[in-house]
Amino acid sequence: MLHIKCPHCGMRSQNEFSYGGDASVKRPKLNQEISDQDWDNFVYNRKSLRGKHLELWHHLSGCRQWIKVERDTSTHEIFRTMKANEDNS
Amino acid sequence: MTLISALNNIHIKGLFGDHEGKDEKNLIGISETKNLLIVQIAQYKNSSTSNENIKIDNLNLENEALNVSNNTNTRILWSGPNNWILTATKKEILKEVKEKLDEANFAITDLSHSRAIIELEGESAKEVLKKGCPYNFNELKKNNCLNSTFNGMSIMVDVLNDNPYKVRVFTLRSFGESLYHSITDSCLEFGYKSI
Repeated sequence: MLHIKCPHCGMRSQNEFSYGGDASVKRPKLNQEISDQDWDNFVYNRKSLRGKHLELWHHLSGCRQWIKVERDTSTHEIFRTMKANEDNS
Repeated sequence: MTLISALNNIHIKGLFGDHEGKDEKNLIGISETKNLLIVQIAQYKNSSTSNENIKIDNLNLENEALNVSNNTNTRILWSGPNNWILTATKKEILKEVKEKLDEANFAITDLSHSRAIIELEGESAKEVLKKGCPYNFNELKKNNCLNSTFNGMSIMVDVLNDNPYKVRVFTLRSFGESLYHSITDSCLEFGYKSI
């Protein structure tokens, strides 16, 4: 089981969280023509990377906030967590 | 506020589990709390109002994790950023909440009828909670609260006292009976007194 440090509540068990997918995906800009391929990439296509990965998690049974988690997908080591509106850099 | 019990069909008074030869005072006490006003207060994201000067029943809305502001009648539990659960024994507090928190900045929802509340008392109650909940309850002190899960059910724990240990466990009313079964099953090895 993972322990994830919620930026609002502190260290909590993974049981309280729900995985929300890749946090690095950016929505195409509004009012701009985009190809079907770009739209597919935004909605469906994800890379299954091995290594550091920025993810969204929802603290569903806690403060009910979305957070970002930087996690290694092979070792499950968590490097940092931040609020959803915080910059990744 | 509701006097209609959420646990009416299953909460039976008596001694259960491994209680024989034990002093009743050392058993876990389980009771249902009814007739409690429960109000959710959520401050809108675009709200510019500072909540530092707002006092409800002389209590502040504090934005600090796990914190409970309290007096004898009212408890304000931190539920998330800019989100609180107010519990009160006097229903007049709802009027005060609506007067002091304006509709443009706060969403106020009366949840009194939609929660089941189980009160646990006794030192072993902490061990019972540890069985189903992943949080380390040794860290949770008096006047702390916690949102978590108990055997997969979302719960809110409010620590009323730490000596003797006394907690209120809130869950959705529809989960009330399942949670009650889960908690009483966990209590069997310690022996419990259903009050």
